[in-house]
Amino acid sequence: MLFLVSFIFFFTCTLLICYLALGIFSTSALRRYTYKNSFVNYNEIATSPLAPNISLVVPAYNEEKSIIHSVKNFLGLYYSNYEVIIVNDGSTDNTLQLLKNEFSLEKTNYFFDYKIPCEKIKGVWKSTKPEYKKLIVVDKVNGKCKADASNAGLNIAKNQFILNMDADGIIERDSLSKLIKPFLEEKKHKVIAAGGVIRILNSCKIENGVIKEINLPKKFFPRMQVLEYTRAFLLGRMAWSELDGLLLISGAMGMFDRKTMIAAGGYDASCLGEDMEAVVRMRRYMAEKGERYVVTYIPDPLCWTEAPSSLKDLKTQRVRWAKGLVDVLKKHSVMFFNPKYRNLGMLGYPFWLIFEWLAPTTAFIGMIYTVFLAVTGAINWPFFALLSGFIYSFSIFLSTWSVLFEELTFHKYRNKMDVLKLVLTSFVEPFLYVCIAWFSVKGNVEYFMGKNSWGKLKRGM
Amino acid sequence: MKKILIIAGVFFAFLITSFALQSAGVVAYPNLWTLHVNFAGHPIRVVDALVVSIIASISIMIVLLVFMLFNRTKLERREKLKQKLLVIFQGSILSYLQSWSDHEHYYNEIKSLLISKFRKQLLIDQICDISLNAKGDTSANLKKLFFDLELHKITYRKLHSGHWHKKIQAFKELYALNITDKNQVIYKYINSKNDILRMEAQIALVDLAKETDANPFEFLTNLHHPFSLWEQITLHQIMVQRELNVPDFGQWLFHKNHTVQMFCLRMIREYKQINNQARIKFLTFNEHPAVRKLAYEVIGDLGLKNVMAEVKYNYKDEPQDVKLEMLKSMTKSPDSSLLNFLHNIVDTEQDADLLIEAVKAIHSMEGGDEFLKDMMSKEYKNYNIIIKHVLDHRIN
Repeated sequence: MLFLVSFIFFFTCTLLICYLALGIFSTSALRRYTYKNSFVNYNEIATSPLAPNISLVVPAYNEEKSIIHSVKNFLGLYYSNYEVIIVNDGSTDNTLQLLKNEFSLEKTNYFFDYKIPCEKIKGVWKSTKPEYKKLIVVDKVNGKCKADASNAGLNIAKNQFILNMDADGIIERDSLSKLIKPFLEEKKHKVIAAGGVIRILNSCKIENGVIKEINLPKKFFPRMQVLEYTRAFLLGRMAWSELDGLLLISGAMGMFDRKTMIAAGGYDASCLGEDMEAVVRMRRYMAEKGERYVVTYIPDPLCWTEAPSSLKDLKTQRVRWAKGLVDVLKKHSVMFFNPKYRNLGMLGYPFWLIFEWLAPTTAFIGMIYTVFLAVTGAINWPFFALLSGFIYSFSIFLSTWSVLFEELTFHKYRNKMDVLKLVLTSFVEPFLYVCIAWFSVKGNVEYFMGKNSWGKLKRGM
Repeated sequence: MKKILIIAGVFFAFLITSFALQSAGVVAYPNLWTLHVNFAGHPIRVVDALVVSIIASISIMIVLLVFMLFNRTKLERREKLKQKLLVIFQGSILSYLQSWSDHEHYYNEIKSLLISKFRKQLLIDQICDISLNAKGDTSANLKKLFFDLELHKITYRKLHSGHWHKKIQAFKELYALNITDKNQVIYKYINSKNDILRMEAQIALVDLAKETDANPFEFLTNLHHPFSLWEQITLHQIMVQRELNVPDFGQWLFHKNHTVQMFCLRMIREYKQINNQARIKFLTFNEHPAVRKLAYEVIGDLGLKNVMAEVKYNYKDEPQDVKLEMLKSMTKSPDSSLLNFLHNIVDTEQDADLLIEAVKAIHSMEGGDEFLKDMMSKEYKNYNIIIKHVLDHRIN
């Protein structure tokens, strides 16, 4: 029995040490980025005739509540050369009709190739009004997943760069300039993808698709996710980008080199974690071709999205994430400790496999085992308390560290009390890990039993 | 996947065996309470390590929290002070500039305010801001004030600092005040390994060239590092904003650094330097596809019709994106002698983007519409759908 205890103990210690190391890498990367960014004038790129063209691809399925505001938000971005492609993925509500009415759309004779397979595209619509000339609406047969709709958008897009994003996300006005910058800075390594920080929209004040006031979510679950996102984006992904081991660019918003994405085969409609899978496949494609490339990540908060506000919705989301993760890891298992894929194969993939995938399961086994020991009276209570205290204090420390990063860099939450509330949330958050671990185990069990549906999330907008 | 399953299998087999061996009393694992870890020759109890970690985590967390709250208060206070001082500095500087006889009084007034590093830096920023839009006597007086207050010493110190971001701050201050004395120092960073420092050095030199007769882009001759599009955009914007003298960019079209060639092609297009036609044509044979693609783009934008008729034979050997640019150029500078060539492309190509561009090129040419009608009437290949796309004014 002590072997199991020892394993869980040393596994946890290794995990925490890894997080500490990632935090240190992240600190250096953030520091450099902040200095660098202080000299940048994004107006220059936004208004320059030399700026490259970008296509925003936005899959939309039953988004009648938010689609008009979202499209207005996308059309009002501060960048000169871009188009917005809304892909109506066979919505059963009034999404398409609302778009037609609001933007005076007409069906066009659009000719395109199915470069990447997707469900049938029924028509391509454009506005008769010149002020909406950047807007293209694609109507297609429902493909039962976001990946299929994104692929349809890729087939229609003509520009060199693609920004794929969620229809219910709110994008900052200067996001395009910030995301395109790494591609323009390209030197010896080709930049194939860039991601930015996603923030939680709950409790923020929105007017006509624009955020008027940023607030910390009032409800506990979204607030907990603010902390989680801050930690994941500022501590985790920033470090992985620095280590060239980044596996994931959030599906809520990511920019890609269109040519590379098409050559790699676009999004995999059969995969549950299509956003992560696309990045991994693009990276594999480049590595296998022997081309030098990078996937970059910028710490600026560029996109705001609504987080699940109830435990039920959180469960649906996390079960889906767990299924997506195991699916991607399974599909690309050839990369595991494979030097051909450089840091991605030697560091990134093993970390995700051992710590991101295995950690919740290990934690859950540990919890069950603890209950078993407690029931049988075999538990060493002082040691249990010490170990729990160690994990608890360390997790609070990590959360506070990430809040500090947010404070020193972007400090989006202007109210001093918000910072305090966020830190206080980190005191409660570790207790919820029991649920998070359970959702992950459930996702894995369902995946291996073949129950691979997406699940529905309720949106409050 | 096999590899993972094998590793997972071995791991679980090991776990179960160990568990069984321990249960049977064959093997005894050490108690974690008494387990010692060897650290630099000193045995440390795990329990002690845990206690230390807990204390350290909580202490650091408290320190971070206090720091955050104090930092917020400090920043808010500093911002308030900054706003207050900016108003005072602005007023004093303007009074200094406007008073012909009482310079000394305002000079002393400003000097008396400079009691900290923060205030000195704020004044430097303020002088730089005003100087960016100042001309003639105002600019000279600002420079005089800057030197009289010995603020240049701070800037020069930053220029020689070990921190790259401080050097950049110095570059910005030097070019805001048109101080050219340190150009040689800035020039050293033109080929710096630090890409931000390199770019800012380029900006500074281009900006400072307005004060001298020097060619603002002289540094291009010795540029070894890749010249990113970001740098190119930034420098182009500076040229536009500062209304700098535009050199003939044809002089660097055969630079050994292909990114410099690309910058020059872009600038030749922006400033319509058509006299470089022969050189641009030569670049359509360049070894880098990106250079060839851009050369075709520039040919189209500058309307160099006869060039396309001469280089159309390269088409079949080019990659898809270069082909696409060739066709776009033919649309931008239509030449009806290319009609049969384009018809041939529509017949042979499979790629939708190439087909659309070829039809667009035909449509743009004299007699192109009749040519398209004739194509639509032919039955052996259905051109209608592509032609309808091209003729749909809502799409293009």
